This record gives sequence, structure tokens and C-alpha cells, in this order.
Amino acid sequence: MNDRVAVMGVGNTPFKARHIDKTFPRLAYESVKAALEDAGATKEDIGSTVYAIYNDFFEHCAMPDLHIHYQLGLARKPGSRITCGGATGGYAVRAAVAEVASGMHDVVMVVGVEKVGDVANVFDMVKSITYAADPFFEASLGASPAGSYGGAILWHMENYGTTEEDMARVVVKNKGNARNNPDAQSPMEVTVEDVLGSPLIIYPLKILDHCLNSEGAATIILASEKAVGRFSSDPVWITGVGASTESGRQAERDDAGKSLFPAVRASALEAYEMAGVADPGSAIQVAEVYDSFSGVEICLYEEFGLCGWGEGVQFLTDGRADMGGSNPVNPSGGLIGGEHAIGATGVYQVVEIVRQIRGEAGARQVPHVTRGLAQSMGGARGAYSVSIVVEG
Amino acid sequence: MADDRDPRFVPIKVQDGFAVIPDRWKVDFRVSAGELSRFYIELKENARLMGTRCPNCGSVYCWPRSWCKDCYVDCEWVEMSGKGKLTLCSRVEISLSDIQKEVPFFQGGVHLDGARYPVVVMLRPVEFEDLHVGMPVHAEFLPSEERTGRIRDFYFIPDE
Ligand SMILES: [Zn+2]
Repeated sequence: MNDRVAVMGVGNTPFKARHIDKTFPRLAYESVKAALEDAGATKEDIGSTVYAIYNDFFEHCAMPDLHIHYQLGLARKPGSRITCGGATGGYAVRAAVAEVASGMHDVVMVVGVEKVGDVANVFDMVKSITYAADPFFEASLGASPAGSYGGAILWHMENYGTTEEDMARVVVKNKGNARNNPDAQSPMEVTVEDVLGSPLIIYPLKILDHCLNSEGAATIILASEKAVGRFSSDPVWITGVGASTESGRQAERDDAGKSLFPAVRASALEAYEMAGVADPGSAIQVAEVYDSFSGVEICLYEEFGLCGWGEGVQFLTDGRADMGGSNPVNPSGGLIGGEHAIGATGVYQVVEIVRQIRGEAGARQVPHVTRGLAQSMGGARGAYSVSIVVEG
Repeated sequence: MADDRDPRFVPIKVQDGFAVIPDRWKVDFRVSAGELSRFYIELKENARLMGTRCPNCGSVYCWPRSWCKDCYVDCEWVEMSGKGKLTLCSRVEISLSDIQKEVPFFQGGVHLDGARYPVVVMLRPVEFEDLHVGMPVHAEFLPSEERTGRIRDFYFIPDE
């Protein structure tokens, strides 16, 4: 990157299944107001804004960013929208980092928001997502998002002996971590047996293995190094950004060796190289990752190089991903316990890592954090992925 | 959802003191299959599964591509044998789709003989337990009066 990029302000709404009392522009506004206050800034400081809003159906609007931007009092300043499935938030952060690092703007805001519950029912909600499938072939099968991730999980089970019990432990961890996050949607004390006994969606994935559907918003304010002094907060730096893609069809993958999510792997390696991370197991002290399904998180430990191929279950059962472990993963509760307001997710992951680095994470604080990883992905089996290294 | 009226004309509801506005998006399409047309026409008219081959590198694509993404040259049509190997099988217990409503149904990956990549297709085993990754499978086509030219017109079953 040409210029260093700092995060100067973070803010978010609580995440819930339903914010019946707020529209999506209001949710966005509340997270923006919180982030401006956090930075000691006003809207006049903002040079440009990037919106992370995934799905037109959830906002029942094809240009939802315009209707937020004007109401934020930012007309006649640039505003644009990124939509990249579950990686929408990550890609929006990346676009904003580029605007700052290139010298185009000194201060750029990223606003992620989603209002999933405005879709009338879960069937229409899933239908809205399946409209992302390959429109000429796969869409006519009516395949679900669960199916695309299920394939990778089944491969892990067959080749490494990963079990449904192992995956259930991820749910116990993430819903348990969410109990320490006042903004989380689904704090729960669950047992492995509870998870195994919940209704099956598509083998081996059960209801409790599934990520949440949330409403809420998250905002971060980025600044160039020379603009850092304008704000009252201490800077936290984005030192590595990696982004990648894969085929949007479920089964179509060029050989990626042992990687089940090659776009994730590629994005992580790019971010590590930019940040100078040589040994992720020791360098990544905390991570907020895209646990779309419980078993996916086990695969991700390996993709991120926190452990070797096939060692994900061991990494989990050794407690390394737990609070108090060597590399706590998803202290916020992740997508299973914390939130999945889709466009907001990749932004909120950065919010959480910034709070961890500042020592502002309250009951879920990981001690002595100086570096963390935020990663989001989307499309059929992680066809988009963004990895972001954040440092104090 | 027993209410079949167009939601756009249904009165607002009040929930916990907040207004909820029923609304609907409904858009129909007429999608030009363009350079991919032969795939759909052969499927519907002749129960043939068509792919394409790159004349430069020899890659066979099914689902067909009209150009090779590596060589940037136009591909030529080839008929697939409809035989392949199962790469993945899954049993869907809760359908959230309005295309496949009856459960359970079976979907999976099949690596068609000669093709570069696997495809995701419908499976129709007698029992789910009959399916094993790596097993040989082949395509069966719906009778002509039931075919609509979509990839739901065929499904895969284990060889013998
Ligand atoms: Zn070629």
C-alpha cells in the first residue's frame, strides 16, 4: 500500500433477528453516529463512503446506498456500494482502504447494513440468496446455500474423520462466546447433545450448525496516516488486505491441493504477505472468521495456517480456538452466536478486532492483543473471500 | 400466508406499536440462451447432454462454455456420454426452495467422463445409502412430454 491506513472510529447497532422499530437507513445512521463519536469526528470529516449492502431483496431496493447516503447529509460527496455475497463487508473495507492508500481521500467511511427480516418469510429469504446461483444452469436445481458448504464439510469428514460431534463443539464455543457480547443476537449455553439433536437441514448440517440471520449495522472510519491527528482516538492499523475469488458454481474448482476453500487460502496468504506475517499460528492472536456453518470454522483454521491440513479438529479440541487458548477464534460469537447481518458482517469483524486491540472488548477481551485477523467469504462455497490483518 | 392477495394492496399491519408494510417484488424474465442455445434445445428435443471442447487445449466443458477461459478461443459442441463418477452426494431434508418442494431429495456432484469439472445435479437413488463417492453413475432423462429444457430434465443413478 502507498500510504498506511488507520481505523479511527468503530460503531455498530445491537444485532437482532428483527429490529421492528427501525428502518435500514436508521440502523445505518445509528452505527455511523456511534463510529463518528468514537473517532471524535463529524460527518464533515468524511471524504467518501463505501456501503456494504449485500442483497437488494433484503432492503427491497436496488440502490439502497443512495437512500442512506443522502439522509446521512453526505450528498455531493462520493458514495458507492459493494455487493459480494457474504464477503460484501470485507470487500467494502478493501475498497475503502484502497481509496485511502491511493491518496484519493484522507478519510473514508465503510457502512455495512442489512435488514434480512424485512423479507416476509424464511423461504423468500433463502430464495433471495439462491438468485445468486449460476443463472444458466445450477439455479434451476433450487440448490441451497447449505449445500455448497456441505460439500466441503463432507470431504473433511471423509478424509480426516471429522465428526458431527466435533462440529457441534464449534457451536458450543461460539454461542457461548456470544454470552460475553452485549450486541450478540444468540448468546446461548448449549451442549454438543443439543446441537446433535436439532433438526437436520442437509446432512450433516443441523439447524444449530447454521449461521444466524440478523438485522443490524456496523461502521468503521478509515484515515490516512497524515490525517490521524484530526481525531481523538488512537489509531489501529490495517496492515494487510487480501482478496480472492473462485468459480460461482458449487463443484467447479481448479486443483487447489488440500485447500477446500482456495479463495480463502489465497486471500489469507496475500494479507499475510502484505502485513509481513510469516507464522500465522503465533502472529494471529485473535480472529473473527466466517463460520457460516460450524464445520466450516474447522476447515478455516487450516486454510489460515493456524494449524496444518487435517489438524483443524485437534486445534479445536486442544482448546486453541477457545477464549484463553493460543488463538481465540470468534470471541464475538461469530456468525453462529453473534450476528450475520450479511453486508454488515465483514465490517463488524473489523470493529471487533479493533476493540480487541484497543482493550475495549469487555468480558470477551483477549489479553495483550496486538494483531488480529478478520475474514469474510460468500458465494458458492466461499467463492469470494477477503482477509484483513489489523494491528495496534 | 393463507392470504393470496397482492401484498402491495393489503393494509399495513401494526406490530408492537410499529407499522409493518406488506410489499412484493415480482419480476418475470425471458432469458436469451444465445450462444448456449444448443444445450437446451438438444436436451429438450433429443434428450442429449451437450458439452463443449476447446480446440486449443482440449478441455471439455459441461456445463458448456462458448469460449475457453484459458485459451480465449471459441469452443466446439460435443455430446457427453452421460456417464461419470459421483464426487459428492447429499440428502436435503428441509427444502427452502420453491423449485424442489418435496423432501427428501438428493443432489450431488458428478464428474462426467472427459469433462474438466464436476457439475451439481439431481440424484435419484433407490436408497440414499446406495450412493458412494467415486461410484460410476449415469444420466437418465425424463420422457419427452415432461422435459422442459432445464437441467432438472435428467438425473443420475448408479450404474447397475
Ligand atoms: Zn483451452
